Amino acid sequence: MNFELLTQLLVNGLIVGTLYGVVAMCFVLIYKSTRVVNFAQGEFLLIGAWTCWALLVKFELPFYVGFPITLAFMMVFGIVLQVLVLRPMIGEPIISVIMVTIGLSMFFQALVAWIFGGYTKAFPKVFETESVNIAGLQIETAYMMSLGVSVVIMVGFYIFFKYSRLGLAMRATAFNQQIAQSLGISVKHVFAAAWAISAVVSALAGVVIGMVNGVSSALSFIGIKVFPVVILGGLDSIIGAIVGGLVIGVLENLAEFVDSQWLQLGNMYSIAPFYALVIILMIKPYGLFGTKDIERI
Amino acid sequence: MASAHSRMRCGEFRTTYQQDTTIFPTPLARRVAVIGVLLLMTVPLFGSAYQLNLLIQIGYYGIAALGLNIVVGFTGQISLGHAAFFGLGAFSSAWINSTTGIPVFFCIPLAGCLTMAVGLLVGIPAGRIKGLYLAIATLASQYILEDFFARADWFTGGSAGAMANPFSIFGFVMNNDRSYFYVVLFYVVIMFLAGANLLRSRDGRAFVAVRDHYLSAEIMGINLNKYRILSFGISSFYAGIGGALFGHYLGFVSAEGFTILLSIQFIAMIIIGGLGSVMGSMLGTVFMVLLPEVMEFGVHLVGSGSSTLTQALAYIKEMAIGLAIILFLIFEPDGLSHRWKMIKNYWKLYPFSY
Amino acid sequence: MRKTLLCGTALLAMFGFATMASAADSIPVGHLACYTGPTSDVGIPYGNGVADAMNYINANGGVNGKQLNYETVDYSYKAPQAIATYKRWVSDLKPVAIQGWGTADTEALVQFVARDEIPYFSASYSGHLTDPTGKSPRTKAPAPYNFFYGPSYSDTCRGLVQWAADDWKAKGETGKPKFIHMGANHPYPNAPKEACAAYAEELGFEVLNPIVYDLKPGDAKAQCLTLKDSGANYAYMGNTAGSNISLLNSCGTVGAKPQFLANVWGWDENSIKAAQESGDGVAVPLGSPSWKDDVPGMATVRAISKMSDPSGETYRNLHYMRGVCATFFMKDAMEMADKHGGITGPNIKKSMEMMVNHVPAGLDGVCKPSTWTNEDHRGTTEVSVYTTTYNGGDFKFNKQSTVDVPRRADWLGW
Repeated sequence: MNFELLTQLLVNGLIVGTLYGVVAMCFVLIYKSTRVVNFAQGEFLLIGAWTCWALLVKFELPFYVGFPITLAFMMVFGIVLQVLVLRPMIGEPIISVIMVTIGLSMFFQALVAWIFGGYTKAFPKVFETESVNIAGLQIETAYMMSLGVSVVIMVGFYIFFKYSRLGLAMRATAFNQQIAQSLGISVKHVFAAAWAISAVVSALAGVVIGMVNGVSSALSFIGIKVFPVVILGGLDSIIGAIVGGLVIGVLENLAEFVDSQWLQLGNMYSIAPFYALVIILMIKPYGLFGTKDIERI
Repeated sequence: MASAHSRMRCGEFRTTYQQDTTIFPTPLARRVAVIGVLLLMTVPLFGSAYQLNLLIQIGYYGIAALGLNIVVGFTGQISLGHAAFFGLGAFSSAWINSTTGIPVFFCIPLAGCLTMAVGLLVGIPAGRIKGLYLAIATLASQYILEDFFARADWFTGGSAGAMANPFSIFGFVMNNDRSYFYVVLFYVVIMFLAGANLLRSRDGRAFVAVRDHYLSAEIMGINLNKYRILSFGISSFYAGIGGALFGHYLGFVSAEGFTILLSIQFIAMIIIGGLGSVMGSMLGTVFMVLLPEVMEFGVHLVGSGSSTLTQALAYIKEMAIGLAIILFLIFEPDGLSHRWKMIKNYWKLYPFSY
Repeated sequence: MRKTLLCGTALLAMFGFATMASAADSIPVGHLACYTGPTSDVGIPYGNGVADAMNYINANGGVNGKQLNYETVDYSYKAPQAIATYKRWVSDLKPVAIQGWGTADTEALVQFVARDEIPYFSASYSGHLTDPTGKSPRTKAPAPYNFFYGPSYSDTCRGLVQWAADDWKAKGETGKPKFIHMGANHPYPNAPKEACAAYAEELGFEVLNPIVYDLKPGDAKAQCLTLKDSGANYAYMGNTAGSNISLLNSCGTVGAKPQFLANVWGWDENSIKAAQESGDGVAVPLGSPSWKDDVPGMATVRAISKMSDPSGETYRNLHYMRGVCATFFMKDAMEMADKHGGITGPNIKKSMEMMVNHVPAGLDGVCKPSTWTNEDHRGTTEVSVYTTTYNGGDFKFNKQSTVDVPRRADWLGW
């Protein structure tokens, strides 16, 4: 056993896992309040990161100007998407809703690749990058920052749902749309707000990952990785999303460890979460923490 | 006078259950279908290579799309991993042919059976999972099978792919498009007739009952698990046949051909064609096969010589597929077959349609 | 009913699509490019190079007065798509030669092009394509109609390893240096895997278990941690530039810093800029001069570049030059074939195999002198190793050495 490598991989898994957790949280937010399974979550990261990159590099705006513009743009983008595409889908069968978001994902992936090309692009340096040493793992400050940002977002989400008016309205809508409506909550606004918040926070995550790894089409794949995370954590549990993110992040890195030490297969890293997903669903058909539907006739 | 009145037709009226469950809705429809097949049989005589190629593509994708429609449209189970079964059929046919030397003619149905066996196996756990969770589970199986294809050297030739011999029967080799067209047409006719027939059978009605309300179906004595697994098996059989036809047509099979993108395209075919419609599966396939060609034609028309547009062609095609899915779901959620029915009804009652 | 509809729609939609039959005095050529797939990062400049070169040939008298009638198809790096395109070409375009791209598709097409006698100029330099007769014991299948310009992937990797061995000694290190192969599970990164490892072992390297990372750019920190832990001194990156940038960024983040060796498609001007400090010092084999170099042939290349960029301001990277070379070798072979019985596939093949230290006219210093024979399709085995340095926005290629990899008989087709 190579404990040094194992610890380093585990630390890496935790850091990556928090980012998965943030994206999964955005996914859960949409699912919980609007019952839409968003296969285009990864594209939010992609579009956010590229928009920010374009503002910073092409228009040469300073970060403190370009970044807020990106977030504002993503907010509008989320609302427009909800109003134009998802609103007509209310009441349609589940496969239609899934397919419409898959359609969106295909469309935006191709559009972004067309506009920005297939090349990985580097973000301009926003922070001085210096490495810090944690448990023998050299970690860049930008990477540490991503951990910090994730934690801040999570706390923000907690406060938002616990204390703010909109947050309470969203929870009410998620609980029961009709009752929420009868209490004077505009369900329409809540739906739009859910998409807007999800888009903005995803974009934030996209920018953070882009700063560390460079901006490329790979960002959209995180949208697929979200599925094992939410199956693990339950589709409608925000806390579950965070826990699931951490577990999947660690699992990936453990798979890499097992693979590199014994198996020598090569790509367990990318495929292990999917095996985990299938196994979980076989044992618990509603996910680990998901609520079981009780159907009444 | 009375007899004249009774012979006057205004719309379709069925007076017995037998009439309601014919393969073709009207005698006219049957005749048109027969003539259509006969006409298609003459296409190799005058059609260009390009047209034949498109028709063959429509053929094998159509068979697989019908299979997906059986599991999604008839039984109401979502599958995002159909391309993996399509690939499995292609690989198994090539593998059976190259390891045992059995002529390709027999390998295609054998590959279908092998795929069906795997489909039944996969269907067992899938029988327990519903709706969204099933969609995600099949998505995962798509990635797992893709990874398996790229790794199983003994079966698929690994990441380098495998060669598939041309179609042969008793030493008679059909390796050009003209003769292969007949092979595909033969399978299309058989598989579509079987598909339409399935719906008339006890099993077909059970599928629809499971889709419409699985609890009521169970109460009526339908074995839910059995039919869910069966529909996965039948769907895999169709996918396997389609995939095997694809593999022997191309002559080469590799994992890159069976990605999630193809799975999405299959679903797009049945959504655009119409969920739960045999004819819709074919209409949707025609649409999805021709859409990229029309896009290419359009790009050449608008921007011939403009290298930026030509270089972005693949992106434009992909965007068109995405957009087609979205627009159909918003504006025509019941698909082309529904639109076709509307047109038919309009003319049937013309000029007194309301 | 569905059949008539099918037929009707199909026929309606298809009118006018069919490619026009080529005129008698033009030469049909297929051009298979990767503009949108995972290797589009290097596929676009290479494809542009090929297309510009063909347009330039057409604008300057063609091939002995005959125009090249070429059709470009972007196959998005999907081998089945490439085969489908090839089949279509064989029935309508009827090309006498094809300019191709990737390893997976080229190796899949070997038997097809041999059967149809169409010389295939690939941008894949896989060692498996170098044995036209299949005599070598390592060869899986003979590749009589395959050609490419440059040292094979295996020879390139051998050259890099050779340089690494010298580098190790020059640095005064002792002990066995460790070598590791990295790349996706895909025919292209896999092509030199065994051949190169065998030679590295022969040179006294300790060869470690290979590491797999994705051909699409993505996070590779876990792989980098494994790399760091393995203690490799020399790491060969088998993927293309876009994916390597991500790898180097990730490795920079976790502090894995062996001497990276890139393959010929794995490193270029763009990647130096994108990877910034993380990419400092990567060793790369150069197959052509860079855009700013002053060699006699560059005047022609600049004229070719004006075909698609009249302003002449676009910076063309290394891959563009190699696309131009591959096209001009084909053109020269066509001219020779024209004099010896007409431009047909078999004649082009024979002409290619008559070339001895051949450099296309007007491209001195751009294309390396190459020799093909009817028993050996290794055009050249000379590997020029450079390292790159990045200094804040600017970059430099530093010549290290030119390795002449021996043409061993048992290395043919491997």
